[in-house]
Amino acid sequence: MSEIFLPSITHVLPMTAIRRQRILPVPGAIMVRVNEKVQAADVVAEAEIEPKHYYLDIARGLGLSPKAAARHIVPQKGDRVEAGQLIAGPVGITRRSVRAPAEGHIADIRQGRVLLEARGELLQLRAGFPGVVIGSDGSQVVTVETTGALIQAAWGNGLQDYGVMRMVGESPASRLQTDHLDVNLRGAVLVAGICDHSAPLHQATELSVRGVILGSMAAELIPVARKLPYPVLLIEGFGEQPLNSLAYHLLINNVGREVAVDAGSPWPQPGYRPEVVIPLPANRQVALPEDVIALKPGRRVRILKPPYQGEVGLVRELLTAAISYPNGVRARSAAVEIEGVGTTNVPLANLEILQ
Amino acid sequence: MSTYLDADTLLAIDVGTVNTRASLFDVVDGRYRLIATGRAPSTAGSPLFDVSEGVRMAIERVQVITGRQLVDESDLLIMPVTGQGSGVDMFVATGSAGPKVRTVILGLMPGVSTQSALRLADSTYLEAVETIHLLDTRREEEKIDAILSCHPDLILIAGGTDGGAQDSVLKLIELASIAVSQVPASARPRIIYAANRGLAATVADRFDDRFDLAQAPNVRPSLEIEDLGHARLALGEAISEARARKIRGYEELEQWSGGRLMLTADAFGRVIRYLSRIYDPEKGVLGVDVGASHTMVAASFEGDLRMRVETGLGMGEPLPNLLRHVSLADILRWMPREVKAGDLLNYIYNKSLAPGTIPTEEIDLDIELAIARELLRVALRAARTQWPSGKNLNSSWLLPAIEPVIASGAVLGRAPKPGYAALALLDALQPTGITTLVLDPHGLSPSLGAAAAIVPMLTVHVLESGSYVSLGTVVSPVGKTRVGRKVLNLRLEYDQGTEDIAGEVRMGQLVVLPIRPGDHGKLTLRPERGFDVGFGGPGKAGALRVAGGVVGLIIDARGRPIEFSPDAERQREMNLKWLQDIGART
Repeated sequence: MSEIFLPSITHVLPMTAIRRQRILPVPGAIMVRVNEKVQAADVVAEAEIEPKHYYLDIARGLGLSPKAAARHIVPQKGDRVEAGQLIAGPVGITRRSVRAPAEGHIADIRQGRVLLEARGELLQLRAGFPGVVIGSDGSQVVTVETTGALIQAAWGNGLQDYGVMRMVGESPASRLQTDHLDVNLRGAVLVAGICDHSAPLHQATELSVRGVILGSMAAELIPVARKLPYPVLLIEGFGEQPLNSLAYHLLINNVGREVAVDAGSPWPQPGYRPEVVIPLPANRQVALPEDVIALKPGRRVRILKPPYQGEVGLVRELLTAAISYPNGVRARSAAVEIEGVGTTNVPLANLEILQ
Repeated sequence: MSTYLDADTLLAIDVGTVNTRASLFDVVDGRYRLIATGRAPSTAGSPLFDVSEGVRMAIERVQVITGRQLVDESDLLIMPVTGQGSGVDMFVATGSAGPKVRTVILGLMPGVSTQSALRLADSTYLEAVETIHLLDTRREEEKIDAILSCHPDLILIAGGTDGGAQDSVLKLIELASIAVSQVPASARPRIIYAANRGLAATVADRFDDRFDLAQAPNVRPSLEIEDLGHARLALGEAISEARARKIRGYEELEQWSGGRLMLTADAFGRVIRYLSRIYDPEKGVLGVDVGASHTMVAASFEGDLRMRVETGLGMGEPLPNLLRHVSLADILRWMPREVKAGDLLNYIYNKSLAPGTIPTEEIDLDIELAIARELLRVALRAARTQWPSGKNLNSSWLLPAIEPVIASGAVLGRAPKPGYAALALLDALQPTGITTLVLDPHGLSPSLGAAAAIVPMLTVHVLESGSYVSLGTVVSPVGKTRVGRKVLNLRLEYDQGTEDIAGEVRMGQLVVLPIRPGDHGKLTLRPERGFDVGFGGPGKAGALRVAGGVVGLIIDARGRPIEFSPDAERQREMNLKWLQDIGART
C-alpha cells in the first residue's frame, strides 16, 4: 500500500466518450429502444409524478358498516376508472352511491374504503444531447452515449437546453453586459466570463437564448438565475472568476457548434455535475473519462482558493511535510507551476484535477 | 492484569463527510495514549461512493507516521497484533458521512409525543421532512399525498402512552400503512414504531413481511416520562442501513469492528455524557462540533444527555442554509476587517461547492471563523430549547454553568493559533462564570465514545492526556455597568516559580494571564457589586484552583451578551483588539 491522494476531478476534455443516465424519479415508460439514435430534444422516458389521492370512505358514503360497504364496491384493486364512474352502490331506497371524483386507478381497497390515485403530472426526460441509446432497464433508466467535448461546471440553475454557441466578449474575463446582447444572438447559447448584474440576464430572456455559460456570477444573482427560463451554468463558481484557460479555449474553438447545456434537474442523481457537452464526431475509438485519478507530478490541476483561485497549473512535486501559509495554517501541499506566476505551494485540499 | 492490557492496540476510524480520520492508540507506561492520527479526504461521495478508499488512505497515513503495518497486502486489517508487532488488537469505527435520512414523523399530540419524536429526530442524522399529528387539519388523502411527495427513507410513529387509548394510534398506523403500500417495494421506507406498546401485535400484523418494520420502546411511555434512548438505537440501525444501501464500505467497517460501527453523533454524545458524570455535578458539560455537513451540540447534566444534530448546518455543502437563520451582517459583525456583503455571499457559496478547501489567507481564515461563530450560535440556540428546565432558553438566555466545553471541528482544530479557536468559542457560546475551554484538534471524541464500549479505560486515559488541548480557564463575569468601569479584582498565585499577578479588570476588557499547560495556581476573584463570577451570586468573592492552558487564564469582561458597536468600523477595531488580546494576532 502506498500513500496516494485522490482529489476531486473536473473534466475539461476536447474529445471523449460521454455516457449519461436519464433516470425517472419513479417507474414509468421508456420511449426509446437500445441502439436508437436520439436528438437532444427527444423524449426518452416519461412518468406520471406526484399523483393526487382520494381516500373514499365508502362506508360513510353508503351509510353502511365498513364490512357491509365492502360488498358494494364495484371496481377491483388496480382497475382504471373515469371521473364520475360508479365506485360503490347504489344501495337502499335513496340509491346511495359513491362515484370517482377524478380519472385514475384504484390503488387500494381496505376496511370499506377505496384509495383512488388520480393521474399525476407528466414528467418527460429528454436525451439532452444527440447520441445513441446504449441501455435501459425498461422502466426507469435510459443510458445515452455520444462523443465530443466535455466541460464540467461548478453550479447550474436547474435547467437544460441545446443550441448554437456564441461568444460574448473577447476574453475569459469579459463581462456579460446588455450592450453586448443584440438580435444576432437570438436563440443562441451565450458564453461570457463574468456576470455581476441581473440586467443582461433579463435581456437574454428577451432574446430567447437557449442558455448562458459563465465563468462566474455574483452569488446575489442566484434567485434571479433560478427564475430564468433558460439554463445558466457557472464553470468556476461565484464572484469574479474568469473562465479557466482550458475551458475558455475549448469553448472558443467550438463557437458556432451546437452545445448541450445541462445545468441541473429537479431530481439530480448522486454525483451529478452540471456540464456542457459539445457533440463531435470521433474518427477513432474514444474512451470514457477517468473518474478516479491520483495526484502526482505532471497532473494538471485547478486551484480552488485564493490567492490563485481559478488558475490552472501543473503539479511539480508533492511535498512530504506540511508547510505554513501566510495566515499560519499548516497543510500538506504540492508545488504547482502556474503559467505567468511561476511555482507556488498550494494545499492539497485546495486542488482539483483538471482532465 | 486487566483485560485491556492483554489487548493494547486500538485503531479507530471516523468517516466524516469531508475527512476520514484514523487514530491509533496504544499502551505507554501503563496508560493508553494516542500514538498517531492520519487524515485523508473522505470518499463517501462522488465519484466512488465507497468509504473504503478514504479509510485506506487515512490508515496508510498512520502507517507512514508510525512505521507500523496495520493492514496486509490485500488491504485487510491485521487483527490481533502479530508476533512482529503488526496490526491492532481492537478496532472501532464511527461515521457521519452519507445522505440525509428523510423522515416523516407521525405523532398524536403536537406538544407531547410529536414533540418527543421531533426531539429524537433532532438528536441524530434525520431530516424531518413532514410532521403529521392529531390536530393536523388536513384531510386524510392530503396527508397520504404529503407522505408520498417527500419520498421518505423512514417513517417514525410515536404517540399514545403505554396502556392508554388506542384508537388514535390505530389511525396513525392505518395512515402510514396505506401510504407506504403505495410505494414500490424496492423503495419503501423503514417504519419505526415507538408508540403505545399495547398495539405492538397489531402493528406487526398491519406491517407484515412486505414492510420493513422495527419496533422500539415507546418514546413517551407516560405523559411525564420521555425515553428517547431505546428508540435512538433503533434509529441508529436504520440510519446505518440507509447509508449502507447508498454507500459502499460501511459493511466492511461493521465487520472489522465486530458489529460496533456507531454513528458519530452517538459516540460523541457518549463521551460528553461520560464527562458529565465525572465533573462537577453542579455544572453541565458541553460538547460542540462544527462539521462539514452537521453542527452538533451535546450537553449533559449529571448524565442526562441532550443531543442536537443540525443536519442542515455545516461548514461545507449546506453552508448557504445558515442564511435562513442569520443575516450576512450577523456574520460580518465578527470580522476584524471590512468585507463587502457580496464578497461574503460569494465566499459562502464557493465554500459550499468545495467544502474540503482550507483558507491560506488571513481574510479567508477570519471569514471562516466568523461563519463558525454563527453556526455555533444558531445550533446552540436550537439545542437549548431542549435542555432541562432551569438550563434552557425559557429559564434564561444566559448559558448555564458549564465545565468544561469540548470543541471540535476542522475550522477550530486547524486554526493556526489557539487564540483563534478560544475567541471563536467565547464569542459563539458566551459562557458565564468559570469554565474551561478544551479543544479536540484531532477529532478524537467520536472514536473515544466508540472505544468506551470495549475499553472504558482508554477513553479515560486519552481524555486525561495531552491529545486534547486545554485552551485555558475562562472567567466570564455577568453583570451590567458602563464600559471602562471596574468589574473585578483578581489575584493569581502560581504554584511554582512565577511571581503572583494581581490587578483589576474593567468592563469591555478581554484579559489573558499567562499560565502554561501543566502549571497550576490559585485564582482569587473579588467581583464588584452586581457582578456574578459563579461563586454563588452577584458580588460574591472566592478562590479556586486553576490549571494552565495554551492560551492562558482568560477573563472575558465583555459582558453577556456581548454588545456590538453601532459603528461597524469601531466594531472591527474591537474585533481586531480582541484577537490581539487573546494572542491570535500580533
